[in-house]
Amino acid sequence: MSYLELKNVDVSFGPVSNRTEVLSDINLSVEENEFVAVIGFSGAGKSTLISLLAGLQEPTSGQVLMNGEPIKGPGPDLGMMFQNYSLLPWLTVNDNIELAVKTVFPKLTKGERRDKISHYVDMVKLSHAGDKLPHELSGGMRQRASLARTLSLDPKVLLLDEPLSALDALTRSELQDQILNIWETDKRTVVMITNDVDEAVLMADRIAPLTIGPKATLAEEFAVNMPRPRDRRTLNDHPEFMRLKTEITLFMMGLNKASQATRSIIDMPEIRPKDFSPPVAAPRLKNRSSQPTSAA
Amino acid sequence: MADSTKDKIKYRLLKLIDYSGFKVLDPPVRLAFGEEPQKQIRDIGRFMLLPILFVLLCIFLWSAVAPTHKTKSGAAPTPSQVWGAWQDNSRFGEREDEKLDDYELSGEKRLARIEEVTTRLTELEAESTELEKASTVATDKGNAITASTVAPYTSRLNKLKDEIKEAKASRKLALENLAEQVAARSASPQDMLALVVEQTQASDTEKEKKKIIDSQIKEIRDNPPESIKAAQLAANKTADEIQHFKKRLDILKNSNKEVKKESLLAKVATDEATLAASTETKEIISKSKSIVTNTKNAASVDDQKFAPTATIAWQTKRSLATVFVGFLIAAIIAIPVGIMCGLNKIVMACLTPIISIFRPVSPVVWLLIFQIVVGAFFLPDPAKHPLFTTLNQEYWFGWIKNPIAFLNTNPAMIFSACTVAMCALWPALVNTALGVSAIDKDHMNVARVLKLGFWSRLFKIVIPSSLPLVFAGLRISLGVGWMVLIAAEALSSSDGLGKFVWDEYQNGSSQSFANIILACFIVGIVGFFLDRVMIVLQRLVSFDDGSATA
Repeated sequence: MSYLELKNVDVSFGPVSNRTEVLSDINLSVEENEFVAVIGFSGAGKSTLISLLAGLQEPTSGQVLMNGEPIKGPGPDLGMMFQNYSLLPWLTVNDNIELAVKTVFPKLTKGERRDKISHYVDMVKLSHAGDKLPHELSGGMRQRASLARTLSLDPKVLLLDEPLSALDALTRSELQDQILNIWETDKRTVVMITNDVDEAVLMADRIAPLTIGPKATLAEEFAVNMPRPRDRRTLNDHPEFMRLKTEITLFMMGLNKASQATRSIIDMPEIRPKDFSPPVAAPRLKNRSSQPTSAA
Repeated sequence: MADSTKDKIKYRLLKLIDYSGFKVLDPPVRLAFGEEPQKQIRDIGRFMLLPILFVLLCIFLWSAVAPTHKTKSGAAPTPSQVWGAWQDNSRFGEREDEKLDDYELSGEKRLARIEEVTTRLTELEAESTELEKASTVATDKGNAITASTVAPYTSRLNKLKDEIKEAKASRKLALENLAEQVAARSASPQDMLALVVEQTQASDTEKEKKKIIDSQIKEIRDNPPESIKAAQLAANKTADEIQHFKKRLDILKNSNKEVKKESLLAKVATDEATLAASTETKEIISKSKSIVTNTKNAASVDDQKFAPTATIAWQTKRSLATVFVGFLIAAIIAIPVGIMCGLNKIVMACLTPIISIFRPVSPVVWLLIFQIVVGAFFLPDPAKHPLFTTLNQEYWFGWIKNPIAFLNTNPAMIFSACTVAMCALWPALVNTALGVSAIDKDHMNVARVLKLGFWSRLFKIVIPSSLPLVFAGLRISLGVGWMVLIAAEALSSSDGLGKFVWDEYQNGSSQSFANIILACFIVGIVGFFLDRVMIVLQRLVSFDDGSATA
């Protein structure tokens, strides 16, 4: 029995008469301390999928299980790290983490609480910015603060909802390394949503591709059999890395093509506008004066 | 090192300016620290000097146009007359403060003050006789000038009168002649009628001519030479000052707190002596009674306060107190109700009809309703209602000085405050509901992940995240409240700026119009500062850059 499991899960929205089926027949099982990445195009329903795991969303049918028990709702065991940071903007980094720690570990003394907070702030290398408000931080720092807050819950499962997709490439790779480091020193179950193939191959043990919605479902998984720790510097020379990357990319591209092919093509009537040239008296906009001719 | 502290001071100052919303002061501060002088000077020119010039232009236009507009209470006041009204009002205020101070003085200090006032009074009296003389001389001179200016007109008038007399006599003669001819049938009645018409016209023309000269004379008499006015004004001012000092002396010597108490106690002492020696029953009864009353009165002197006079400063303070109470009531009701509306759609649906119907109701209607409904609580004798006796006591429990005793709280003030509250309620309520219902879904998800309970969700997530909008609503509320208050005070005769305006409108003295304009400026300036305070508060609770608040 797996640690975290999605069994024949369907999710649909809207009234009965006009239902949109977002996810259909999703099956996913994650072992304890495994790092699984779910990769998919934007709009495929990735965030819905992770909301299911976090208990923020209930499946229309099917089961979401943790340790064999159905997940009843959100809680600190299912540590969710949101796509757009979700730091409370009126609290400093330390206070954001304190709110989490105080709520989840109400029995800690003041000193213990302070130690815990500084432990996690140090872990994400934010100790110099603990007294700053979120809007004073860069995107990467905000995401690190968010990570620290999620880790401070001491969750059994870490759910990362496209944690790095809003960041620039350099910050992103730095944070990837940090997350991996933290995970390797303090193993726990991780499910990460991403739209970046490199990121998925670099970080995960297993990659589950999500097909394009509506009625998105999980396609056949790719196992990443590369030794850890994985070194970013030599990765591009690693044949396994290159193979997986190409394979997954091609698979995803294929999905895209397939979905375009299935879309019904609407026949346009055989008519043509007669005259494209603007009327003589029409006012001509300065910047656009050249457009009609080039379009024609 | 020195540079960095300088920079620190600079940025702290700039931040302060930013927070207080006085963006105009930004360029001068930057200029003072030598940052891009040319740009700053250009900005000062564009955003400070030009607006100042524009305001000056407006004032200039005002002073040019005002005197030409004659109203039933004199010409519209010019800026300088309004400024004069301000000075008069503040002098009046200072004098009232002096009187109050005189009333409270005791012991050596009182004697020293008497000395001081007496000296000043003799000085003033000497000055006054001089000024009176000068005034008489100036008046005589001015009258002579007026007389000489009027003389030609008077002679012309007399001449005209003589002419009119002659013309009248000749007309009468002509009329009689024609009448006789008509009687003898040598002229037709039509001729007679024509003559009468002609004569009436002639007499009307004469009257018109006379009227013109009369009005010219009146015009000259009504505008005596400026020198007279100035001399009279100076004399009046000193006379006024003397009046004030005499009053002060009277207070110091006769109605001062200490004096009052001592005289009462002295009376008691003599009465006691008489009582001890007396053998008459009548006298014994009357003296005993008087001893008891006077002892009681002497004890209550400490509790008595100098009746506040309606100086403009006092009116302003009272208005501020009223609007503050009203605003507080509004906030206390609006914020919790707004939060409930924002949290629960059913509550919102229940309250929407009430909000929609009562929001557009005029403050005047509310005032009348409150006068009846809230007034019922203060029956039968509002002056003796515990609320007012407590609020107006000079000392609480005999030793805590009541800081709001000077406000002289009364039912009218409560009605005004309730009206303010009723009208200021809506913007705060609606904005709070909006702020609560517009909470970021991600923040609520955080609350769900942390499994926060209802109350900590409310205090840790809902309220902090809606605070900026709540304060935006409160800012609108305070603005509305201040505007409503002036009208409510005018209508309910609750002392304050509104009543000041109303009283001025009613009493119609030569300075009333200027006083009304003055009150208009005071209301505007106070309102401006209230708004600034709210902006600062709003900025302090905003967690983003605060750029959203204009």
